[in-house]
Amino acid sequence: MKEKWRLLITEKNSAYRNMAMDRAELVSISKGNTPPTVRFFTWKPRAISIGYFQSLEDEVNLDACKNLGVDYVRRITGGGAVFHDKELTYSIVIPESHSQVSKNIMESYGRICGAIIKGLKQLEIDSSYIPINDIIADGKKISGNAQTRKAKTVLQHGTILMDVDVEEMFSLLLVPNEKIRDKMISDVKQRVTSIKHILGKDISFNQIADAMRIGFEEEFNIELNKGILTDEEIELTNKFEKEFFSTKEWNHRR
Amino acid sequence: MQSRSIYKIPNGKLLKIFLEYNEKTNLIYELKITGDFFAYPEEAIEIIEKELKNALLNKEILIKKIDSIVKKNQIEFIGLNPEGLTQGILMCLK
Repeated sequence: MKEKWRLLITEKNSAYRNMAMDRAELVSISKGNTPPTVRFFTWKPRAISIGYFQSLEDEVNLDACKNLGVDYVRRITGGGAVFHDKELTYSIVIPESHSQVSKNIMESYGRICGAIIKGLKQLEIDSSYIPINDIIADGKKISGNAQTRKAKTVLQHGTILMDVDVEEMFSLLLVPNEKIRDKMISDVKQRVTSIKHILGKDISFNQIADAMRIGFEEEFNIELNKGILTDEEIELTNKFEKEFFSTKEWNHRR
Repeated sequence: MQSRSIYKIPNGKLLKIFLEYNEKTNLIYELKITGDFFAYPEEAIEIIEKELKNALLNKEILIKKIDSIVKKNQIEFIGLNPEGLTQGILMCLK
């Protein structure tokens, strides 16, 4: 019989709440209170997330965010700044001791990205994992991923781009040198793609979530059963949202 | 003296360093290591920043010191390494 993992589809939440949910799941799963969990979600309002080590004021145009109603949040994972707009975001939380997860961080990136690649295959998109943390299709990036390990538990989250507006993204992100902004925009346009761009049509969140569900089930030989956050996780989500992710102290710490 | 550098780690990530140092003695006063790299555990970067306070801005000394902090705290870098970190710090020297 296949092992059963939990599937959460939480859809639209704020950046603070999304990051708080991932962390709440991590705590709950590290204590063995809930099974390994895969979550699919989106962001409302749209938001920029920055990597744990990035300097907020160095990466993000805070005035532009304010003007466009875009939130910003620091992740607990490393990696770069991401504009979460038209995308499906996934997270997976699983004990480090689980037989399906390698102790080796790079190997586990490859394995989890394998689920995304199988999911994209369901949508008839061929893609491959490019270390350190990208998935490419048609030679361009379609998914970025970031992993942390805390309390002997792995959390990896990442984006699957449904559509992308590079100009708007660059109006929200700061570039090292304004003189090269146009060059950076054209470079990124050549390096980034999306499901819409490849298939030439819009695919809904639900269609992508269904495809990704199959991807995870196939990659890990498991069954994903739709569930909800436990009371403990809701309580932790509220706490982390209020005390961490929505605070100036956390978001401006670097 | 305050200074900053941006350094793309070969085969790695983009490192951005903010450094405050004493120009006469070449000792680090304050160091902020930022960028889109990965380090496990994440808190390790704060340990490195703290332990490099008062360190001499010299390539061999910095690599040795960072290596030793990495070993002692079982830090795993992805997209960053002690040599690259040292290079980024020294690029701040004017």
